[in-house]
Amino acid sequence: MIATPRFGTVLVALMAAALVLAACAGVAPTQPPAPTPVPPTPTPVPPAPTEAPMELLSVSVDSCDYGGELKAIEALDKYTVKFTLCFPDPAFPAKAGDTALQIHPAEYLEATGGTGQLLEKPIGTGPYVLSEWRKGDQMIFKANPNYWGEKPKAETLVFRWSAEAAQRLVELQSGNVHGIDNPGPDDFDVIENDPNLKLYPRAGTNVFYIGMNNTYPPFDNERVRQAFAMAIDRKRIVENFYPRGSIVATQFMPPSIFGYTEGLDWYEYNPEEAKRILEEEGVLPGFKTTITYRDVVRGYLPEPGVVAQDIQAQLRAIGVEAEIVVMESGAFLDAADAGKLDGFHLLGWGADYPDATNFLDYHFGRGASKQFGNGFPDLWEVLEKAASLSDPAARLPLYKQANELIKQHVPMIPVAHGGSATAFQAVCQGAHSSPLGREKMAVIDCGTDTLVWMQNAEPISLYCADETDGETFRACEQINEALLSYEIGTTNVEPALALRYEANADLTEWTFYLRQGVTFHDGSEFDANDVVKSWEVQWDAAHPLHKGRVGDFTYFQAYFLQFKNAPPSE
Amino acid sequence: MLSQPRTVAPVDLVVPARRSRGLWYETAHALLRRRSGQIGLILIGFLVLVAIFAPQLATHDPLQVLIDVEPNARRRTPPCIHAANNLPAWPLIRSFQCDPTMPQHLFGIDGNVRDLYSRVLYGARVSLRVGFYVVFVALVSGTLIGSISGYVGGRVDNILMRLMDIVLAFPSLILAIAINSALLQALDTSLLKAIIVGLRQVLGFEDVGLLTALMAVSLVSIPTFARLARASVLSIKEQEYVMAARALGASHSRILLRAILPNAMAPLIVAATLGVASAILDTAALSFLGLGARPPTPEWGAMIGAERNQMFTAPHLIIFPGLAIILTVLGFNLLGDGLRDALDPRMKNR
Repeated sequence: MIATPRFGTVLVALMAAALVLAACAGVAPTQPPAPTPVPPTPTPVPPAPTEAPMELLSVSVDSCDYGGELKAIEALDKYTVKFTLCFPDPAFPAKAGDTALQIHPAEYLEATGGTGQLLEKPIGTGPYVLSEWRKGDQMIFKANPNYWGEKPKAETLVFRWSAEAAQRLVELQSGNVHGIDNPGPDDFDVIENDPNLKLYPRAGTNVFYIGMNNTYPPFDNERVRQAFAMAIDRKRIVENFYPRGSIVATQFMPPSIFGYTEGLDWYEYNPEEAKRILEEEGVLPGFKTTITYRDVVRGYLPEPGVVAQDIQAQLRAIGVEAEIVVMESGAFLDAADAGKLDGFHLLGWGADYPDATNFLDYHFGRGASKQFGNGFPDLWEVLEKAASLSDPAARLPLYKQANELIKQHVPMIPVAHGGSATAFQAVCQGAHSSPLGREKMAVIDCGTDTLVWMQNAEPISLYCADETDGETFRACEQINEALLSYEIGTTNVEPALALRYEANADLTEWTFYLRQGVTFHDGSEFDANDVVKSWEVQWDAAHPLHKGRVGDFTYFQAYFLQFKNAPPSE
Repeated sequence: MLSQPRTVAPVDLVVPARRSRGLWYETAHALLRRRSGQIGLILIGFLVLVAIFAPQLATHDPLQVLIDVEPNARRRTPPCIHAANNLPAWPLIRSFQCDPTMPQHLFGIDGNVRDLYSRVLYGARVSLRVGFYVVFVALVSGTLIGSISGYVGGRVDNILMRLMDIVLAFPSLILAIAINSALLQALDTSLLKAIIVGLRQVLGFEDVGLLTALMAVSLVSIPTFARLARASVLSIKEQEYVMAARALGASHSRILLRAILPNAMAPLIVAATLGVASAILDTAALSFLGLGARPPTPEWGAMIGAERNQMFTAPHLIIFPGLAIILTVLGFNLLGDGLRDALDPRMKNR
């Protein structure tokens, strides 16, 4: 599950300050920081001497003062690309595998001007070729006959969507679709009891929280926030309103992601004590506030309305009257981001890559948005220090400290790590769910020529460099590929367009050796220049192709902090 | 028209009294003789009683979450009536039977572990009040606009009626959605704030969403009444007794209020009754879409909207509020039909 859709907007402002964000030094537990050769083909690729010399692209900045992570991207030869960073980043491979950093043909980027057709008719190297996109109805893909990897099992792939869990289930039961995303929490049992269907639970690499903004009284008072932390019965919410596989959050970090602190527990549920403190602080009696949310179903919050009402009821039990306000998704995220929500707000976060920086720095780092009001400098310092280190053993205690500080400051109340699932017809071989929400349809074999998949929503565009929505990313994953990819059903990086990569000792120079003989859907050959160009148009804010759908390139900025030639921030 | 300086002798300007027991008596009599009128009255009477005595009839607090309050209360459990266990297991009865260790809930438990029966009962309060308030606002302003327009005529008529035409040109629900969204956007403005505070005091609704929905639905209902009122006024103002009143020097307001409007009321009453039904339906639709009542207000449309995904796993959550809406709308439609027949002089004594 990629970042919550349009969480991008949060990120934009968040990164605009472009201060720390220690994403740079993140280390996934699964990723030893040392150069990691990824097997299949052992031969590094020497430039082919017989070929006509091609013009090799390269981009760089003169100095790292611009605030970003990247220093240079160079095509060393036709099949080798070197990335030079301004500072060590052990998480670089994980980032390079992200859907937002997929490789597009350099010529096609030029031809489309970085927008327009690029958004509608992408050309990639992936297992499927987009055949037709009937807007508002379905998206049809055909198998790529020249795919470098294993041939897709189904000749035709169809993406459909419905926001209603009931409709998705009915379509699955009736056999109209082979697989669905996010069955409703109450439908888990229905699916498991149906011999024709199979459920594939997705681990909760996400967090649902109740946010508070410390610039609005009484939330400016730490004791008050701590009191509210005691007033919410999180166990009751998870037990009653979440599907199986969900767990009560004890901290912001989900347990399966590096940075989680074992043994740390949240405040004990104690409404009497909470009420006593609130009365002592003069908040009660008579405190009225709001609970704002968007009516959008996500893995971390499968039933927003129900959960909001339960929180409202719990608050009423201690004498706090909270009015529920439902906002449109985009407006809600913008308001949260700008720090305009003066009551409680319900939001969550899903992992983009498995590292603490993806969770903590985004929300609580120095460059974080105004979502929780003014930040906490002691927390900033710890996070910055943790991000500057590369040794997991040294970082972990710092994240323990950070998680404890978050518990002390209570910028938000972590409630749940929501389990979700995909469900497929039982006959489907290779069906799976991806913890990052990027299921690979090519490996699924339902014994039919056409595989029909139904998800929550229509993809927004098919140029994922400028998207943030998980539903959109899943579609891009079928068509385009990045240098690296994630193993099916896990968060481990595996080779994709790059066969292997290596880094220098201080993790600032990463060399990727590309797969040879790969062709794009239009028949053109994949080479190092495509990689450089695909990255460059995102990196360089002044590049004529730096357009996309809206031009935010949120993920690029989130990962690498700052664009080259970034316009002065407002 | 010249104003008469002389005082006018008190003449009864209203319809000359016939040998009858009065218009209202006759109408009521005619209404009760018709099947549609009877059923409509019974349904509405029943609903009004339910609304008034909701606190007595309800088994639970409609807002109370029963987690940790009642043992075995699981969310979205279907209806459970222990007494039904003694009855034969016919399909309809069977769906109310349950394990005697489970707590009794006539309509089952909703998604937030609240008693659905109590919520549906309290929903009657919300919906009936919404229906009446909307129609009251629309009727009063519609009649005012329509009668002025019809009575004054000319440019005023033209302007007012074109305005009404504009409103009528939109599908009412879509216009209501637009107006409601605009109102919700403008909630911060001081004028709207003041209106909301005032409405809260007068109507006793706490729910801001419901109040804006009420305003939106009222606004889109006005043209129907304005049109009707204007048509009636146009036909009546040419009648002899109105001429007579005019000749006798009655003021405009007196002619309009005492001579014309009382006789123009019949179609308006029918429209108002039918209007209650559509107002309830429109408000429920807005709430279903999440634009009306805000949780936890027990509004039928909102209840259905919140649980629409449980159509197959917990159908009781849709069926009972749905039935309530159907019965209410049916009741007002039947009554309106009956009234139309009863108030129509041509239908007399048939």
